[in-house]
Amino acid sequence: MDLKELKALLRLMDSHDLEELEIEAGGRRVRLRRRAATPAGVPVALPASLPTAPAAQASPDESAGLLAVTAPMVGTFYRAPSPGAEPFVKEGDLVQKGSVLCIIEAMKLMNEIEAEAKGRIARILVANGQPVEFGQTLFLLGPA
Amino acid sequence: MFSKVLIANRGEIALRIIQACRELRLRTVLVHSQADAESLPVQFADEAVCIGPAPARESYLKIANIISAAEITGADAIHPGYGFLAENGHFAEVCEQCGICFIGPPAVAIRRMGDKVEARRLAEAEGVPVLPGSREPVRTPGAAREEAEKIGFPVILKAAAGGGGRGMRVVTAPEALEAALATAAAEAEAAFGDPGIYVERYLTEPRHVEIQVLLDGAGGGVHLGERDCSIQRRHQKLLEEAPSPGLSQALRQSMGEAALQVARAAGYQNAGTVEFLLDGSGHFYFMEMNTRIQVEHPVTEMVTGLDLVKLQIWLAAGERLPLRQDEVRLAGHSLECRITAEDPERFLPSAGTLTLFRPPGGPGVRVDTHAYTGYTIPPFYDSLLAKIIVHGRDREEAITRMRRALDETLIHGVKTTIPVHQALLLHPSFAAGRTSTRLLERLVQER
Repeated sequence: MDLKELKALLRLMDSHDLEELEIEAGGRRVRLRRRAATPAGVPVALPASLPTAPAAQASPDESAGLLAVTAPMVGTFYRAPSPGAEPFVKEGDLVQKGSVLCIIEAMKLMNEIEAEAKGRIARILVANGQPVEFGQTLFLLGPA
Repeated sequence: MFSKVLIANRGEIALRIIQACRELRLRTVLVHSQADAESLPVQFADEAVCIGPAPARESYLKIANIISAAEITGADAIHPGYGFLAENGHFAEVCEQCGICFIGPPAVAIRRMGDKVEARRLAEAEGVPVLPGSREPVRTPGAAREEAEKIGFPVILKAAAGGGGRGMRVVTAPEALEAALATAAAEAEAAFGDPGIYVERYLTEPRHVEIQVLLDGAGGGVHLGERDCSIQRRHQKLLEEAPSPGLSQALRQSMGEAALQVARAAGYQNAGTVEFLLDGSGHFYFMEMNTRIQVEHPVTEMVTGLDLVKLQIWLAAGERLPLRQDEVRLAGHSLECRITAEDPERFLPSAGTLTLFRPPGGPGVRVDTHAYTGYTIPPFYDSLLAKIIVHGRDREEAITRMRRALDETLIHGVKTTIPVHQALLLHPSFAAGRTSTRLLERLVQER
């Protein structure tokens, strides 16, 4: 379990406002439990040795057959083409390669983000209107 | 004053800007590439936004992602650091258009001084000496001879369309001019597709001396003295000092005034540096203006007691200069050594993980670095690991202090240029203050 995967799980907890999350996949298990918020200004404790380049290993998502759809740019994530409209996709939907999954707004431009492959939306990890950074996991796609 | 500053840079300068923001109690957002996701600046900033994969072109130079990151975090100012987009007039304009303050000079001043020919013309118009040179490229031996006679030998022939030492020839005597022009033109054609050659006065052992200036938006401007950056290898600075051993107080004043004059004529604001070449007889010549905070700014901070990065933020927020020229005091002597992760023999980058990084300390020592034990140097960016800066009451103490500091600097896991600095500090010419842009070359040849 590397830092990047942990961060993705933490974001999942955040976006669904979970107190506790336990995942078991591919023979590995992790449990994350939220406590009361720490006061602002608590310094970040540096780990004894910071990780070097992330090892090329399958994430639990991928080993469970899930493909991560990540943000190709920085901006604000929207689930629908306009406020009040139906979202592009819901969990469980089947999408084709090229289907529009969401919009990322950047510098007043609405960019449509398309699926790279056919699949079924297993998870939506980001909330409507949430800011996203480059590389952030937006959706998990399962087999069609 | 701003509420949140976005730092569009990485490494030691990103940390430096975070330090200034922290002391000004401003919130910080750091944008970073995936390769820098676990770096110290990311850890220390209040917020961090990943803006792209490792290559600078897709991250640190990606204007859309940087502006977008400012928008989603609500940053009202951007500090570009040095390098990357720091001197990109277009980026400064985009910030202006998006209502985000660019911490630096106005875009128009960046563009004006970014054009080297335009900058020289501006300096000349202000009566500031410029290195005598041909205004247009020469293409015939006759034109070259005419220019060279006007300029005065020795001259250097330089490719109009490029640099990096190619298409360059030094000509000391008129008889050698025609042949030198032919080879320089052929080289220029081969390297840059254009045989045009500039003819310029050649200074045999020039000092590179630059003046730090600060200007506000209400007509206030000061110069903070000089930095001597003559120790260079292939036009890359290795060691800088303030004040310059080659300057008298009178010369310092003349150069300072000339620098301010050029900056004002360019409509400049905020921090900037005017570069000059100094010949052996106390003549100085304008070279160019750098419209950004520089790597070597700490030596000026050490001798003036001022925080230049805080002043940049202060001035960008519309405040006036907090001091007049007669209130600028230079005290003592400062040196900076740029420690890079390079093989000290051949200067090839040395990649790897720092198994030990123990910076020096003690009186009069300052270290600006993003490195730490266990840090893996990403191969995508420059190899600057740390700046070791010392201050002493005079040049002799500063040199002794730097030698002591370098001796107690422990960096294991990669090769560094520390041995080069140690040799330099021991060299009799350096100790005597006889620095020039040729000194390092000679030292490297002697070894």
